[in-house]
Amino acid sequence: MTEIGKSVRRKEDRRFITGAGTYTSDVQYSDQAYLYIVRAQTAHARIRNIDASAARAAAGVVAVYTAADLDAGGIGDMQPAWIMYNPDGSPMHEAPREALARERIRYVGQPVAAVIAESGLLAKDAAELIEPDLEELPAVANLADATIANAPKVWDHISANQCFEWIIGNTEAVAEAFASAARIVEVDIVQNRLTPNALEPRAVIALHDASNDEFTLHAACQNPHLLRTWTCANSLPVPESRLRIISADVGGGFGAKIYQYSEDLVALFAAKALGRPVKWVAERSEAFVSDAHSRDHVTHATLALDSDGKFLALRVDTDANLGAALSQYGAAIPTVFYATMVSGVYKIPAIAIRVRGIMTNTVPVDAYRGAGRPEATYLVERLVDLAAEATGIDRVEIRRRNFIQPSDFPYQTPLGLVYTEGAYDQCVDRALENADMKGYDARKAASQAAGKLRGLGIIAYTEQAGAAPSQAAIAFGAGHAFFEVATVRVNPDGSVRVLTGAHSHGQSHETTFAQIVSDQLGLPLDEIEVIHGDTSQLPFGIGTYASRSISAGGSAVLLSAGKIIAKGKKIAAHMLESNADDIEFIDGFFKHKDAVHSMSFKEIARQAYVPGNYPLEQLEPGLEETTFFDPPNFTFPAGCHICEVEIDPETGETRVDRYTVFDDFGVVINPMVVHGQVHGGLAQGIGQALLENAVYDADSGQPLSASFLDYTMPRADDLPTFEVSELDAISISNPLGAKGAGEAGTIGAPITVMNAIFDALKPIGVTDLSMPATPTKIWAAIQAANTA
Amino acid sequence: MYQFDYQAPDSLEAALAALRENDEAKIVAGGMTLLPTMKLRLARPEALIDINRIGSLAGVTEKNRAIVIGAMTRHADVAASKLVRDRIPGLADLAETIGDPQVRNRGTIGGSVANNDPAADYPAGLVGLGATVVTDRREIAADDFFTDMFETALEADEIITAVHFPIPKRAAYMKFPNPASRYAIVGVMVAETHDGIRVAVTGAAPCVFRVTAMEDALKKDFTPDAIAPIAVDGAEFNEDIHASAEYRAHLVNVMARRAVAAVG
Amino acid sequence: MDIQGEYHIAASPTEVWQRLIDPDVLSACIPGCESMTRASEDAYDCAVMAKYGPVKAKFKTTLTLSNINAPVSYTLSGRGQGGAAGFGEGVADVMLEETSDGTALRYTARFNAGGRIAQVGSRLIVATTRKFADKFFAAFSSGFDVAADDATA
Repeated sequence: MTEIGKSVRRKEDRRFITGAGTYTSDVQYSDQAYLYIVRAQTAHARIRNIDASAARAAAGVVAVYTAADLDAGGIGDMQPAWIMYNPDGSPMHEAPREALARERIRYVGQPVAAVIAESGLLAKDAAELIEPDLEELPAVANLADATIANAPKVWDHISANQCFEWIIGNTEAVAEAFASAARIVEVDIVQNRLTPNALEPRAVIALHDASNDEFTLHAACQNPHLLRTWTCANSLPVPESRLRIISADVGGGFGAKIYQYSEDLVALFAAKALGRPVKWVAERSEAFVSDAHSRDHVTHATLALDSDGKFLALRVDTDANLGAALSQYGAAIPTVFYATMVSGVYKIPAIAIRVRGIMTNTVPVDAYRGAGRPEATYLVERLVDLAAEATGIDRVEIRRRNFIQPSDFPYQTPLGLVYTEGAYDQCVDRALENADMKGYDARKAASQAAGKLRGLGIIAYTEQAGAAPSQAAIAFGAGHAFFEVATVRVNPDGSVRVLTGAHSHGQSHETTFAQIVSDQLGLPLDEIEVIHGDTSQLPFGIGTYASRSISAGGSAVLLSAGKIIAKGKKIAAHMLESNADDIEFIDGFFKHKDAVHSMSFKEIARQAYVPGNYPLEQLEPGLEETTFFDPPNFTFPAGCHICEVEIDPETGETRVDRYTVFDDFGVVINPMVVHGQVHGGLAQGIGQALLENAVYDADSGQPLSASFLDYTMPRADDLPTFEVSELDAISISNPLGAKGAGEAGTIGAPITVMNAIFDALKPIGVTDLSMPATPTKIWAAIQAANTA
Repeated sequence: MYQFDYQAPDSLEAALAALRENDEAKIVAGGMTLLPTMKLRLARPEALIDINRIGSLAGVTEKNRAIVIGAMTRHADVAASKLVRDRIPGLADLAETIGDPQVRNRGTIGGSVANNDPAADYPAGLVGLGATVVTDRREIAADDFFTDMFETALEADEIITAVHFPIPKRAAYMKFPNPASRYAIVGVMVAETHDGIRVAVTGAAPCVFRVTAMEDALKKDFTPDAIAPIAVDGAEFNEDIHASAEYRAHLVNVMARRAVAAVG
Repeated sequence: MDIQGEYHIAASPTEVWQRLIDPDVLSACIPGCESMTRASEDAYDCAVMAKYGPVKAKFKTTLTLSNINAPVSYTLSGRGQGGAAGFGEGVADVMLEETSDGTALRYTARFNAGGRIAQVGSRLIVATTRKFADKFFAAFSSGFDVAADDATA
């Protein structure tokens, strides 16, 4: 009864569609109080005083807290979970996030004070009575301003706003290769800043049980165990045994719900101080200025080629905006998850990359779907198109000529990673087939006849997904491990509960993990329940991000199911009076290989819990197995994206007309779910390319696109029908053979769309255009090219 | 949202009386601008007078060679009205481009017109079609109605009851939407009415305006080419992260030409 | 973005200057100004009810006169705190020049908003600045009972 590879309908959808989900804001306690956060309105200021007396006296107010109250309660700063080191071996500067600003405001939206009242409305009313007395300081919002001499300093101890410098690769080899290069191409790239905008805003409810000093935190979170570890290690003076975190249903995360946030800590502190549950639910306008932002790089890169168009060396210089303070993975994203990936799918013998992490008066920056790989893919695939142009070699041919070949695997890049596999040519072949390239000339002619410019973008990508082998991550500066945990618990009636440390906030684990178990144990899907998101129920967990659920979490489930079978064989051997080695498990039955006797899975389950005559010294009762699966390597999903855009040169408007993707995700558990992931990823990637932009006023540091009036989310009518399919392949990365598909769309789409736009605008001579390629920018670029 | 009193009178007279009673009261029609503003605490009216229960204010009729649209008629109903579609298809098209389905199902023509957002679509529709705004006490020509950004000729206690659109010979609306809000970055209504040709622009400047140079040119030659050389002065046009003033000025010409082409 | 304007006033620069530093005149010209009290030599506290379309919020405003070069030029700056609404700050450099028939008043103004009004209202900031400056200087010029030219940008 193989369930793997079937587009089974999502088990969780009945709950979601009927409004029966349990999101954090659905959780109610009868005596709960409501938290409202007073946020900074200025980007940079010294706090002289915060007079909370009027707010404290306001109707319905239970308490008002400032940093001093939290300090007195032992609430510690939120520290980064990943430390980067400078070339001289010194660690990056400290720039922790304060739960409430102590002496200095560093970005608009920063939590400054907390009001707790009998209702959300009363808390908000009282919050208006708090007007911090501030001494304003000059602000820096963007990388160019933050890195000039004498720029205002975001932190007094961080000179030139440079938190760290990180260099990897072989600088000398690069210099030598450039000296002998036949041709050099270079590019300047701006990665636009994005805000995550999950459908469900962040929310928490904190409780404290004074009888045993135990805390419970309901939180819209992607990784409750890690959040617990960080909270207890950094911020809340209790052992992890006394903090339970529950993240039941969560409506989208995209990275932003990985991290510690001020509201968790203020709610926990207040719950204990007040002896009442304290609830906070973000408003959309708060989400824009408090959820971690992403991307925001500027890069200069040069690629050296030989006379045959073979890549010789790559030199990259990137400044990454970290925001005003360090979020959990803030420093790791532009380094470990970006810089290590700029080799792309190509053999580039020498690569050197320097990344500077820069502080600015903006919302802290951290991982967002793709996290470093979209930026790396953009960089290398833009350079390859420029190389094709410069050499006159067809852009598909120059890619094929430089692909890492199947015989090269395992392939060690100059950046520390070992790619295990990659069927790049195959993916390109299949994508080209599916994209109807034969019809392209006719489509281009039709566009032209209508006064439009048609362009084609094609890219190949790979990514380091499934983060990560713990040893590699820790060697790169990670402060925690990256295994994943699963328990398969067989109930006495043979039904199964799976406890997974992966967390579903849209990924369909209740369905896909059940498919894995069903496949292994031969049980119907509706007898398998999947539990996630509660530290008190699960053995442990790392959580879901970096496309790791299926490869790390799914493998842990598979291994635990395998252990169940092994244990079942022992029980069957006992019952059938034979050796476990002689027992086979086939089609849901344990049977002796030479005999006709067999026992069903359900019978074995019952026997496991009714050990009437067990040889207890050899056979333990019960049927439950746990696996901590630490992946031997990253996984390397790969694929090819092809996009056709049509540009109206009169208005600068771009329409994505066709989009084709062919991926290698290894084993696909549920194609429908995987296609949904790819579609969502493409929407977000196209959003970055054409629409989304978190803009700050350069002088004042005020966010200018912090509502949906100005922040453009991709909508259905912005997108074409996607042609998505994938290779029938089994990855060698893990026991499941699956690589992960959560971010692939987001990784490939931005550069595919942009390469198509550059292709369309080539006849006009537009060479300089940055994301988002909005109509006004394209129009201005066309004007500039026409007058040049 | 701050606390406020709420009343929902079922007659225009009662609504007017309530409005006169309290200087700090606001009429709420569809609430598509007022309610978000209140939620953001950027306005704190003492009272809301909800006119959704005044049935006589909604509906589309034809009267004396004009389409009369009740102030409380929703954008979706204007877009779907067979009468509007038959008589002034350009107006039905305009209504169909407003915001998103949620806004179109709630938002009303009267509310949009009274608010006079610089990027709203209806002001171009009214001025371009030479419409008349009917209130509880008088009729105001669209040309005189929209006075400045968010300002109109309405008295503080005056309520719009309907808008009269004389049926034009032909008309079309072309809009370049803000990709995020779907307001107009630039929207142009071009109409050949029985009183002459009108070209009205929304989104580009703080308030809707007519482009008389284009109107004159179209009188002589009703073709896109006739207005192609006519540039509008964008010196005081709106600017934001989506579009420079220069780009808006350019789009006025493009949208006007496309409207002329669509009129046919 | 800078907004510029120019008015011609049929009065001498000295007469115009006297009114430019007169708090009663300033208070009467600031759109929505409900009260004004002197805070120090060159600073005033005012309550301003800002009303733009659906937005209506009270701003506690400090008005400051600086760079005073009587009767030629000064800088008029205001910062209004609107509580939850956010804040706005405007600066206008004003210059007077004697002309054959009176005084030419030229200004360059810029405006910044912060907090919620900036978060949701960025599309309106330039137009609002222009409108505010025009209203102020038009009201100021009309105080001389002489028709003023339109502001030009």
